[in-house]
Formats: sequence, C-alpha cells, structure tokens
Amino acid sequence: MCQKHTEIAQNPSHFEGTAEELATATNVQVNFMDYIKDMKFFDPHIHMTSRTTDDYQALADAGVVAIIEPAFWLGQPRTGLSTFKDYYSSLIGWERFRSSQFGIKHYCTIGLNSREANNEALAEEVMEILPLYLYKEGVVGVGEIGFDDQTAAEEKYYRLQLELAKEAGLPVQVHTPHRDKKKGTERSMAIALEHGIDPQMVIIDHNNEETVKSVLDQGFYAAFTIYPFTKMGNERMVEVVKQYGSERIMINSAADWGISDPLAIPKTAALMKIKGISDHDIRLVTYQNAIDAFAQSGQINVEDFENPQEIDQSLKYNGNTILRGGQQPRVDKNALIIR
Amino acid sequence: MSIISKLLSIIQENASEKELNWILSKSSSESKNILTAFVATPRFVSKKTVEFVLAEENISHSWTLDRLARVYLLLSFPTDSEEVYLKNINALFDTAEINEAVALYSALPYLAFPEKWIYRATEAVRSNIGLIFDSLAFRNTFPATYFTEAEWNQLVLKCIFNDKPIHLIQGLAERANQKLADTLSDFAHERWAAGRSVPAQVWRLVSHFLNEEILKDIEKLLQTDNSDNQIAAILVCKETTFEPAKALLIKYFSIINDLGEDNITWNKLEK
Repeated sequence: MCQKHTEIAQNPSHFEGTAEELATATNVQVNFMDYIKDMKFFDPHIHMTSRTTDDYQALADAGVVAIIEPAFWLGQPRTGLSTFKDYYSSLIGWERFRSSQFGIKHYCTIGLNSREANNEALAEEVMEILPLYLYKEGVVGVGEIGFDDQTAAEEKYYRLQLELAKEAGLPVQVHTPHRDKKKGTERSMAIALEHGIDPQMVIIDHNNEETVKSVLDQGFYAAFTIYPFTKMGNERMVEVVKQYGSERIMINSAADWGISDPLAIPKTAALMKIKGISDHDIRLVTYQNAIDAFAQSGQINVEDFENPQEIDQSLKYNGNTILRGGQQPRVDKNALIIR
Repeated sequence: MSIISKLLSIIQENASEKELNWILSKSSSESKNILTAFVATPRFVSKKTVEFVLAEENISHSWTLDRLARVYLLLSFPTDSEEVYLKNINALFDTAEINEAVALYSALPYLAFPEKWIYRATEAVRSNIGLIFDSLAFRNTFPATYFTEAEWNQLVLKCIFNDKPIHLIQGLAERANQKLADTLSDFAHERWAAGRSVPAQVWRLVSHFLNEEILKDIEKLLQTDNSDNQIAAILVCKETTFEPAKALLIKYFSIINDLGEDNITWNKLEK
C-alpha cells in the first residue's frame, strides 16, 4: 500500500539510485524481456482492483503466472460494512475471474487494513465478518495488516487479527508503516512473537536496508516493494540480495492506484540477471520464496499455474466487459477455438 | 429415491472413505456446522471429476467431487423453518466465491422453497463470471421451470449474445416463444449489419413462430455460402407449419441434395 506522492518522496518504501543506475534502468526498461526469457514470476503483493486489463496482459506477457492481492485501503475511507463485504467478495469473485481470463492464478489475503482500523465502530463490524472470508478457497493469508500511524486502535486490531490467523492456520502479511518505519517494523514483529506466532508464518512487507537484517535474523520472511522506474529502486534491491542472499527474501510490486509498476518483478529479475545474480537466486526471490511462504495456508496448488490449461478467453468469457464491441479475444496461439 | 439419496450414492461411489465420513458427519450436524462445512469443503474433499446422470432429469453432469459434496450439504439443511432455511442459504450466496456460487446455482433445482430463489437465479444470468452464468444456464432445470417469459428470454439472448452453446439450456424447445423469435430476428439483423454472424443453431428457436419477416431471414440463410446456416434454414422450413416456408424447400431443393438428408440435423449445429 502506498500513500500520496509527497509522502512516498519523504518515506520511500523502496530505494533511490544514482544517475549511472538510471542509465542502466533505461536500457533494462527497453530490453528487459530479453533477460528473462522462460522465467516465471509470482507477485505476492499487487492490487489488481486498481489496475487495468492492459496490466493483466502485460503481467501475463512478462511471465507473471500467479499473484496475491492483499485487502487494503482503497484510497478513501469506507463508510459502512457493506462496502467492506463487497470488496472482500470482489477479491474472491470478480477479480479472481478477471485474472483467470489472462491465465494468471489469483490469490488474495483478507484483513482489516491499519488505516481503517482507526474507525473503531466500523472495525468491530468488520472483525465479525472476517472469519467468513478467511476460510475461502484461495485465501492464502491474513493481510495486509499492521501499523500505519501506530495508534492504539491499530494495535488492537492487529492483535485480534493475529489471533484469527493463528486459529485459521494462515500466514500473516504485515504492512509496515511509511513513517517511523524501523520502530513500527520492530513493534510489528515483537507483537507477532508475543502472540506465539511462528515467524516463518509472517511476511514482513515493505522492507528496506534499515529493516531487513532484523527481520531475517528473527526468522521472518522479508518482502521488498519495488517501484523501479519512478525511483530506480531495483538497483539497490540487487545489492540487498548480494548482501543477504536469497533465503526468505521476496520482492513484490505492490502496484495499486498510486504511481507504481506492475512489472516491477520481471524488471528487477532482468536487472539481477544483468548484475550477475544466479538464476537460482533470482528464482527464489521472484517466485519460489513467496510460494513457500503463502503455501503454508494449504491453499496454493502449484499445478494450477505451473502446468496451466490453454487460455481461451472466447471459451469462458465473451461479450460485454473485457472483450468489448467485437474486439477479437486474445487467445493462446495453440488453443482450439470453441464457439 | 429422492435426489438427496441419489446424490449420496454417487458420492459414495466416488469419494474415499475419509472424504465420505467427513461429508456424512457434517451433513448430519447442526446448521451452523453445515454452513462452515460448505465453505471448507475443498479442504476435505478432492476436485476429482465425476460424471453422472440423474434419471428424472436425464442430464449428463460432469461435476467435481467437491461441487457434489457442496450440493449435498445444501440439501442437508433442515426445512422445517422457512425463515431459518432462507437465512442460511442467503448467507452463503452473499459471501460466495466463484466455486461456492457454482455449487449454489447447481443446487437450485433441488432446494426447498424454489420460488424464493428466482431472483438469485436472475442474478446469475446478469453475472459476467462465465462459470457462474454457465452453472445456472446449462444442464440446470431451474430456469425452465420457474422463469417468467421475460426472464427466460433474457437468459437465452445472453447466451446467444455471448456465443455460448444454447443446446445445453434445459427446456429450450418447450419455452420457445414468439417474442424470443422476434428479438432473435432483430439481433441477427444487428449482427449482419456489423458484418458478424449468428451461430446457426439459434434458428431452431423460430420454427414455430415463423412469419413473413422472419422468413426473409431464413431465405437469407439459404443464400449464404455457409452450410450450417443452410442446414438451420432447411430444418426451420421442415419444422414449421407456416405454409410459405414450404415453398423454400422446393426452391432450394438443390442445396438439400448437396448437403445430404443425413446431414440436416440440429445435432450437426450443436457447437
């Protein structure tokens, strides 16, 4: 989840680079697909609700085979329970279906985000319906939850949701705050441990160089959110992997309604390749580690995206939304078209 | 044998002992547990494909085992209080993900208080999620039994609009009507004007509602180079009692000869 642009500038959840890095990035931007032929990617944090079908197409073309969409703040506060309910339903319904039309397996995490935890009356109601969604097929965790302002209300609902995750046996996807990040991250981890949650079941998100060491040392998964072409972030991601290796590290795009790039993972993979990171390590941080972490939910069957069925948009889905006005559906070239 | 015991015997033939025990213990438990079990089914029951036919429907179904189990669970809710029954099923509809919705719509023909589900059924027709639409539209007896003419026509038209196979709709011939035939003719004109086509088998819906206007469409089909269109037109002319259509059979006799009588069946067009 990102915030308004000025806040991003002050509190980047990603990295900033040099002029030399920018030049490399420009080159990668143009040719990055050459470096990642035959690689496949798993983006464990992307808000497709806020993205277009062009993005889905681009993800599919770049080798992203599966994604996780965490429940988050939609840019303005919700005013009632029904909008929360409809939002959660869309993550397991319409968005999942929309994604499938591009051959991308869509999972989600369900939770009450930190900002809206501050509306306590509404938060109480939301807590009551969360269990209805946490046990659904394809719900791979409780998320994204954690701290924003680090208020008492945020802490209260973070703790309550940790208990829900424990009961459901689900991983937790923890959003770390943009402001006072280091302390917020430490506090998030301490509370999770206090609730008796195995750190291997917790993915601490939006790390940077200042937070990663402690996260890994304590046994948590460390996720990094990358915005490569606005802030040139992935150069320094490469350095993080060089320094810390590939164990329990994963990257994501967190693409949403803000300035962000859904192709952050494929682009960073290309950059890693250029910078001499091994294919093995690239695979771990752009694919396998995220699967290992979230498959602890029991809700990920890699067969679904490693041996996908032929995509035929015209078979399951025709007409009036994605394929408008007689537009020819884009069909897998090997598919037999059935009408 | 009731539907529920038939479903159970199909489940018994296909489930492992562990799966079966889970299904039986949940279905005989209190409603609250059935609700949770419905949601949790894929955690305990596999997605193995099961082919079966229910004798009274004579429909070939191909469902995953978890879908069968979910439908069975739905049929296990006590029906003594209508209010509680409706509340339970509606709660599942309101929070359903795609596979749950598919199971709910598959169960509609067998649920109690059927007239209470008509609105839900029309919502499936409005759905753009293909799997949900299909679960209500195809191999499902609910729409033909309970839809009004307007609701029925919307279902059929949306199928045609989306190039879906209408022969999978149950009761297609029985529920054909003049309004649908007229709308279909209009729809074909729109498609033709846009340089597009209409799947040939949809013309089976006009056989008993032919008039001068629609007959022009039928002649137009005969004049296309498309053998599917020609087959459809010939079948309509054969089936109708509208006398002017019979003249077309004579006028276009050579087409019938070229196609061969054996090839002139709706079956050939069911795709």
